[in-house]
Amino acid sequence: MTAAAVRVRGPWRVCGWCVFAILVELGLYASYRGHDARFHWFTHAFVGAAAALAVMTVVVLVGRRPVARPLLWPMLAHVFAMTPDLLFGAGYVHRWWMNLFLGHIRVHFVPGRNWTWLVVYLAALAAYLVAVDRVRPPSVPA
Amino acid sequence: MSTERATSTVPSRRSLATVWVAAALASVVLFGVAGRLEGGRDDVDQAKQRVGFLDEGSLPIPAPLVASGLPGPGRPTVVLFLRPDDAAQECREVSRSVAASAALVAVLSGSAACAGVAGVLVDPEGRTAAAYGMRVPADGGPPVGYAVVDDRTMVRYRTLDPHPAANSREIMTVLDAL
Repeated sequence: MTAAAVRVRGPWRVCGWCVFAILVELGLYASYRGHDARFHWFTHAFVGAAAALAVMTVVVLVGRRPVARPLLWPMLAHVFAMTPDLLFGAGYVHRWWMNLFLGHIRVHFVPGRNWTWLVVYLAALAAYLVAVDRVRPPSVPA
Repeated sequence: MSTERATSTVPSRRSLATVWVAAALASVVLFGVAGRLEGGRDDVDQAKQRVGFLDEGSLPIPAPLVASGLPGPGRPTVVLFLRPDDAAQECREVSRSVAASAALVAVLSGSAACAGVAGVLVDPEGRTAAAYGMRVPADGGPPVGYAVVDDRTMVRYRTLDPHPAANSREIMTVLDAL
């Protein structure tokens, strides 16, 4: 990839897939009926996003370029992490094997609860953004 | 590979920092707002409320009798824990949902009407709730929620739930899993 192929832009360009990802997240939030169920939305959003960002960081460092459609990755990981809750809504109680979905049950019981996952998520986001910054060609201004 | 795909975009360092700050602020604000929506009848530890799986923690444990010989063997029982102010409505609505699948009894922290249940125990001291291992809600008052007892009189599920009737589908899901 040549430096000429790289262009710098701000983060706020409106795009269809960004709007789609945000709308899906709003829908997922609304799917947790009851104020007390929203705790679970945050848990799986933070865990899913952190897992996706970890993968994205590796992809960026290996591929030497930012990932395409970066908002979709955390959203898809969030959907994966909360799959047992979708099943619960359909009448299937949680089982321990559902920890396969990014530790769906276990992640609720870490010390610090959702605050811990918020910190992990923000750390993963920072790592991803640093990785993106590191693949910037020297000829492109920071 | 098309020219468009080959073209990579690298936001400026300032933009990357802005993304992180915006994400952090949005997350903290949303998380904080959601936390403020929790009420006095919720569990202080939200991880322990409506967990969605059987036999959490020390469960199963033998179910203490509430009223009318219930919980008893041979049929699951739902034990409601309610406060007097909304007991009538909760009893009526929960009984509509679960009566066909389980026996229903109620433990009230004060005297109140409670139609549609097989038995009522008024327990201002909260001894029955304690025997069931119901957690103390955020306001320190009597627990509001329910326990699900299987047909061998073992408590398999318990949770605080400020509005059990609103989540009666969850009660049915738990009953189906016994």
